[in-house]
Amino acid sequence: MVNRFIRYIQRYKGWFGGAAAICIFLGLYTGLLASPPDYYQGELVRIMYVHVPLAHTSTLAYSVLFFGSIWYLWKRDPLVDNMCQASAGICALFTALALITGSIWAKPTWNTWWTWDPRLVSFSVLLLILGGYLMLRKLVDDPERGGRYAAILAIVGGIDLPIIKFSVEWWRTLHQPMSFSTRGIAISDDILVPLTLMSIGAWLLFAYMVMVRTQILYLTDLLQAKKGRLLSQTHFSQTSP
Amino acid sequence: MTGFYARWAIMVGGIILLALMTFQQYQHDLSTISLATLLNSPATSETVRIQGMVKSGTLSGAVDQGQATFELIDGSTTLPVEYAGPPLENIRELKTMVLIGQLDSATKTFKAKDTALINNFGFVAAAYLLTVISMCWALFAMSQRVMVLFKEIKEEKLYEPEIDPLANKE
Repeated sequence: MVNRFIRYIQRYKGWFGGAAAICIFLGLYTGLLASPPDYYQGELVRIMYVHVPLAHTSTLAYSVLFFGSIWYLWKRDPLVDNMCQASAGICALFTALALITGSIWAKPTWNTWWTWDPRLVSFSVLLLILGGYLMLRKLVDDPERGGRYAAILAIVGGIDLPIIKFSVEWWRTLHQPMSFSTRGIAISDDILVPLTLMSIGAWLLFAYMVMVRTQILYLTDLLQAKKGRLLSQTHFSQTSP
Repeated sequence: MTGFYARWAIMVGGIILLALMTFQQYQHDLSTISLATLLNSPATSETVRIQGMVKSGTLSGAVDQGQATFELIDGSTTLPVEYAGPPLENIRELKTMVLIGQLDSATKTFKAKDTALINNFGFVAAAYLLTVISMCWALFAMSQRVMVLFKEIKEEKLYEPEIDPLANKE
């Protein structure tokens, strides 16, 4: 089922890429040129239009990795494993960028690049888990075994997702509380428009990147398999009488 | 191949255009000048941004009601400031402040009407440039890799159908 779904959306990846480009371009325009500065943060609020979508998308990417890993352990579908590996790499990129842009925002606002805040620490742990996931895949010689171990790590690491989400409620923190919750939306319309455009753009971009990366992994596997077959054929023709 | 590079040229061109438009808009509004430059420049009613430290023992007035007078130091230059604007929540002596206002040439006093957290667009530009460049680089590398893989598969003729060894035995 998941395999068929991945193959189906692969056909439309160009549309995802195009839609992401349009949303991000409009988001950048409204965020940088059309929206007013914030009352408290001034021009610094504009960093939110890249930081928040990156952070949202990295948690979405990890969710894809988490559920994909469960599915892989259950069905052992290599295409789902490729998708998980693709999600992990892209999630690491989004997470690192979210941490760096957050740090750039924190310096003029909190007067520090880094603080041991629960949200920041739990988000950094996500990056470490992803680093571990990618390293595990590289270090284990047998790709299937590596995929299995990495999937287990991704599932265990999933515990970090609710910690990231609720860290601002569970502990005393410098980080802003949740803007989207059951209590409503705590953002003015001027800021909501570029933020929504950039968030949708980032989700679509993630989907596009995952599809391209999955295709790369699939083609690499195919190439290796075919080369292996050709090599074995050559070997066979040379050794057989 | 040409289509691939044309698509990327359009995308990069669009980003550069947007960056130039943004730079043009904020260059004037967000450039901070030094106190010495302000005092030595010809008399003007233009709104400017200045940065300096609040001199110890000079801060007075109803700070929480948005009224304050103090002296700002920047190196060896000192400038008296009269602030009238939104309530000042984070002002204190020996604190570096960015103030927005105009210089009264007659009294050589800076009439500040607002404060800012940043003295230029550097932090925002850094965040945007870092994100856009990293994403573009990742996307370009991935697209190029797909192209190379397809080319390699095509050139190596790896898609040729396998010869069924059993078929020859019939």
